[in-house]
Amino acid sequence: MENHSLIQRLIARPEFGPFVLLVVEIAVFWSFNHDFLSPQNISNTLAFTVELGLIALAMTLLMTSGEFDLSVGSLFGFSPVLMWTLFNSGLTSLEVGFVAALLVAALIGLVNGWFVTQLKIPSFLVTLGMLLVVRGTALFVTDGFPQRTWSAEGSWLANILVGDFFIGPFRIYMSLFWFIAAAIALGYVLTQSRTGNWIQAAGGNPSAARARGVNVSGVKIGLFVLSSVMASLAGVISSLRTSAANPNSGTGYELEVIAMVVIGGTALTGGRGTIIGTVLGILILRVMRNGIVLIGVPGLAYNIFIGAIILGMMALHSWLERRHQAGT
Amino acid sequence: MAEPLIRMQNIRKSYGRVQALEDANFHVNEQEIVGLLGDNGAGKSTLIKVLSGAVPLTSGDIFIRGKKVSLRSTSDAIAHGIETIYQDSALVTQLSIARNLFLGREPIKPPRFLNRMDQDAMNNVARDLLKQVGISKNIPPTTPIGSLSGGERQAVAIARAMHFDSDLIILDEPTNNLGVAETQGVLSFVRSARDSGHSCIFIAHNIHHVFQVVDRIVVMRRGKVVADDIDPKKTSVAEVERIITGMSDKEIRDAIADGKPSH
Repeated sequence: MENHSLIQRLIARPEFGPFVLLVVEIAVFWSFNHDFLSPQNISNTLAFTVELGLIALAMTLLMTSGEFDLSVGSLFGFSPVLMWTLFNSGLTSLEVGFVAALLVAALIGLVNGWFVTQLKIPSFLVTLGMLLVVRGTALFVTDGFPQRTWSAEGSWLANILVGDFFIGPFRIYMSLFWFIAAAIALGYVLTQSRTGNWIQAAGGNPSAARARGVNVSGVKIGLFVLSSVMASLAGVISSLRTSAANPNSGTGYELEVIAMVVIGGTALTGGRGTIIGTVLGILILRVMRNGIVLIGVPGLAYNIFIGAIILGMMALHSWLERRHQAGT
Repeated sequence: MAEPLIRMQNIRKSYGRVQALEDANFHVNEQEIVGLLGDNGAGKSTLIKVLSGAVPLTSGDIFIRGKKVSLRSTSDAIAHGIETIYQDSALVTQLSIARNLFLGREPIKPPRFLNRMDQDAMNNVARDLLKQVGISKNIPPTTPIGSLSGGERQAVAIARAMHFDSDLIILDEPTNNLGVAETQGVLSFVRSARDSGHSCIFIAHNIHHVFQVVDRIVVMRRGKVVADDIDPKKTSVAEVERIITGMSDKEIRDAIADGKPSH
C-alpha cells in the first residue's frame, strides 16, 4: 500500500472527484461564455459564496460527528434581524447587537445539542423544530417586514466583516478572508488536532469513543454551537453587505449547505469529513448557479442540475468507498 | 492464597422482574486466562457488562487486588485497568490503526495550546505494537481499520489493551466469524498478552477455542456460577458441555473430581 504512486493516491482521495467536477464545470461554462471568468463575475460570485461557505465549513465538522443542523438557514435570517432590531430600538450599539446575536445563536446551538445528546432525539427532528421556532420568531418580531439597515455605513464592525477593496480588477470583501481563515482553522482542527480525532470517532463509532473516555456529547454540543454561531455570523455578514435584514432570508439554505458538504465527500452517516472537499463542494454549487444563468439556461432549472450533481457525486463516493473497503 | 486480581462477590443484577445474576461469585487471578462459559441467557454477558462498567449492578461488591471499587461507566473500568474488547465495536472503522490505538489518549506536540496530535509518535508506537502481536506484514499504521480483516481488528484491540497496561482484558466472542488461521492468530495474541503479565477473560461459544487457550474454566447457569475451578487439561470438552447444559451440583463435583462421566 505504501508504494502506491502519488497519482494513484491522489485519485483515491475523496476530494479528487469533486475537484475534477469543478474543473470540468468551469471549463464548460467558460467555453460557452467567456464572461464567466471575468473579474466582475468572479467577484460577484465569491461575495455570496463565502457567506454560505462559512455555514458549510461548520456543518462539515458537525456532520463528521454524525449529526446535522437544519436550523442554520433560519439563524441566517434571524440573527441580523435581532441585531438590527436591538440597534434600531436604541437599546444597544450595532456592535453590542452583533455580540448579542452571536450569543443567542450559541444558546440555540446549545439547546439543539442538549436535545440531541441528552434526550437522544435525532438531530433531524430537533433542528427541524428549532428551524420553525427561530424562523417563526424572526417573522413574529418583525411582522414579516425587513428591518431598517441603512445606518451601518462606516461602522467599524461593517468594515471588519464586509469592508471591500480592489485587488487589480477584483472587488474583494473582507468576508473572503474570514472564510479562508475559518477553512484553515477548521481543516486543522479536523485533521491535525486531538479534537478532530474525537469528532471522527464520535461519528464513526460513538460507543467505542465513549469507552475510550471521549466526551462524545460534549464534542457534539460544541459542534452544534459552532454551527449556529457560524450561521449567525454568515447572516450578519450577508445583511451588512446587502444592507438588508429580511426575516425570510436564508430559507432553504440548510439543504443547499448540506448538499455542498456531501458533494465534497463528507459522509452523511458520520465518521468521515473533509474541509477541502467542502470548499470544492461550495464552489461546485455556486459556480453551477452562476454559470447556468450566464449561459442562458433559465434560473428555474437550477435545481435540476444541483439534484443531478448530488446523485452523481453520491454514486461516485459510494463506488470509491466500496473500492476502499475491498482494500484495492 | 494471594488476593486475586478481580473478585466479584454476591453480584445481583435484575432487569425489572428478570433476575439476570443471582449471587454470582467470580474471580480472576493475576496473569491468568479464564474461560467463561454458559448457555445463552446463563448470565455471562451480564456479568461481563457489570465488570466492564457497561451496566450498573443491583447489589454485590467488586474488588480489584482486594480494594473495593465501583465501576459506573466503561471509562471508569478502563481507568481501573479493565479493558473489554467486543468484536468490531471497540474500534472506529474510519480512523487509522494508530488513531484508534491512541483514541482518547492522543499524545500532543508542544506547544500544547495548539492541541496538535503527535502523529509520528503515534505511528511509531503503532508499528512496534503491530509487530509485537504479529501482524506487521506491511500494514502501515495509517491504514484505516475498515480495510483490516476481523482477526487483524481483534489484534489491534488487544494490542491497544496491552499498550495501555490494562490488567484485565475481557474478550467477548473474539473468534466469532474468523477463519481457522485468524482464530489461531487471535489465540496467540491472547497467550502473548498473558505472558506479558495481563489477565484475560475469554468468552466464546466455541468450546474448543476456549480449551486451547485458557488456564481455568468457569461455567455459569441461570445467573449463577456453578463451577469455577475446571482445569481444561484434566477435563474433557464433553464434560464441560454437560456442565453447561445442566447437571446437578453433585454430578458436577464428581465430574471435576475424577474427570469421568458421573453416570
